[in-house]
Amino acid sequence: MRYAPAILVGRLTRFAARLRKPGGGSAVPGLVVNTIAPGYLKRTLSGFPQGLVVVSGSSGKSTTTKMLVAILRAHGVDVFTNPSTANISQGLTSALLERADWTGRVPGDVAVLEMDEGHGAVVMQGVDARVVALTNVMVDQIDRFHDSEMVAGMLARIAERAHEAVVVNADDANLERLAAAVGPGVAVHRFGVSAGVLARSPRGLGYTETRRDRLAAGAGVIVDSVEGASAVLRDGAASVHIRLPARGTHYAVDAAAAYATAEVVLGERFSPTTAADALSEIPAVFGRGERVHVRGQEVEFVLVQNPASYQLNVDSIEPGTEQILFAIGSDVRDPSYFWPTDASSLGRVAIVSGSKAPEAALMLAYDGVEIDRVEPDLGRALDDFLASPAPAHGVKTIVFSADAMRRTRAHLGLSGAE
Amino acid sequence: MTLTIAALLPGLQNTNGDAENAAVLARRAEWAGLAARVVRVDSRDDLPERVDAVVLGSGSDASLEASRDILLTMHDELRRWGTEGVPILAVGSGWELLSWGVERADGSSIEGLGIVPGRAVPRSGRVTGDLVVASPRFGLLVGFENHARDYVRAEGSPVGRVRSGSGNGRDSGQEGVVMGAVIGTHLHGPVLAKNPAFADLLLGIMAERAGLEYAPGERAAAVDAYASAAREALLGATRAAASATDA
Repeated sequence: MRYAPAILVGRLTRFAARLRKPGGGSAVPGLVVNTIAPGYLKRTLSGFPQGLVVVSGSSGKSTTTKMLVAILRAHGVDVFTNPSTANISQGLTSALLERADWTGRVPGDVAVLEMDEGHGAVVMQGVDARVVALTNVMVDQIDRFHDSEMVAGMLARIAERAHEAVVVNADDANLERLAAAVGPGVAVHRFGVSAGVLARSPRGLGYTETRRDRLAAGAGVIVDSVEGASAVLRDGAASVHIRLPARGTHYAVDAAAAYATAEVVLGERFSPTTAADALSEIPAVFGRGERVHVRGQEVEFVLVQNPASYQLNVDSIEPGTEQILFAIGSDVRDPSYFWPTDASSLGRVAIVSGSKAPEAALMLAYDGVEIDRVEPDLGRALDDFLASPAPAHGVKTIVFSADAMRRTRAHLGLSGAE
Repeated sequence: MTLTIAALLPGLQNTNGDAENAAVLARRAEWAGLAARVVRVDSRDDLPERVDAVVLGSGSDASLEASRDILLTMHDELRRWGTEGVPILAVGSGWELLSWGVERADGSSIEGLGIVPGRAVPRSGRVTGDLVVASPRFGLLVGFENHARDYVRAEGSPVGRVRSGSGNGRDSGQEGVVMGAVIGTHLHGPVLAKNPAFADLLLGIMAERAGLEYAPGERAAAVDAYASAAREALLGATRAAASATDA
């Protein structure tokens, strides 16, 4: 009952926010409740009967969270989870309010939360988690986190909140160091890739520091092999065949992380077959997961945020894709740190656009990519790109930075343009 | 005869893509019809027999000592290349490690290899932004700088005068250091791609030493048009910033 007034105010705020912007989610209700009832988030997160599970790391946390939730639900567990856009404090409180009854209680046996590595340490203050799963440490959003040591430190603060177990990527040297420092009584569980999988990843795994040794058989959940969009996980004596949401070793590693974490959360109730089926039923994703129908054309959106995601997403574009629009906006102040990536697989790009168009064209040209046109005006580039006939095979593909994505959405009248 | 460009410590010293300047040299050589290759040198064992150019990029401060220790195992080669006139492009902390030494903000310091004169000293805050340098030898150089240290005692032989940005700092108005064909600079990232005349000058030195002819290829002309547009955008932005400051 103690939170009923705050919940009521939060609900009214949400109602008002929806009147202003129909269909839109908003962090404002969360902000209001966090202000008038600062203990709400902490208390609610600690109130799930089977505890709180937190997933964090530089990359792959959204996919891992989605996979973990699917496995738990397939086992009949009632799960509360946050949409990946609500992984910081206000958004998280708003997400809880969506599901809360009038006393503020949120139904569910267990909460699985994706936590932003930058905000997680603050959100988690005073909150106990049963299990914390950490995906990796990468140099991510270089302007925000100056170096990987800082990211590792923030993840360590999140991991400190685990009272039962931490689940770590054993190939990531930063996470292994962190695991060596967990408190007494906290178990460490691991996942990783086999030597064979690493050998077949010519660009490595993308972690800031990859450990020299692979996880020994039986020491955790191991990605044994990856073939296109399918993979085999090895868990002790069991070989588990799964289908991935798309081609890519990183999806197999996310699946291993989710599998290992579900095993810890469910204990004896865990069934490898149920887990494999749940993982295999995750819907396919394209590029960064978005295919839209706009102006009579089928278009794939590919978002690049940092060198690691740039490389993964460029690699995931089908070689020979005929029509690509490549737009880098002013959010990339200096594109230098993208130069170590290799975009040669794109072959040809129809239009390079955005306020950093000349620099982007220069980078692509040195990768050996043919460029038909450089058009810094993104609106004009989009109009012309979408007006041209559809490709003979495949779909028109737009690769963009976050700022260019927002401008693209606004120009095309798509939701989420903000 | 294949031109060999050594990218030194590309694992530790490539934070801003500086090591990619090796690939820029190789690409431009190929566009000119010359055979070229990039050899990644992570340790002394990787050193090729013949080296026609060397690129050493910038790394994080956490790897300063580790990088210096590996570079020390190649101290003789670096000295010899410097004396023989092999072009060496060193950027950011890579350049600092080739100097007399690096002084850190906490008062500690790291001894450098002493290949070029001068030393790196702490500045009050990090400087990041566009850097424009007028160089009598390499032309008008544009790029980006991002460093938390100034560079002193390079006054005898800088790369050029700062038109916009900080450069070596300490009110010197200068940027970089040059000794023969050894060049240290704060211009990070693909500086040779953005400044094709600079790249061609280095390629000219490499070709001459190898007994080859270098003239930029046709493809280079098309790609350099993108570089011109990028340069214009950057020079326009710094001019706008300068006139705003004057107003």
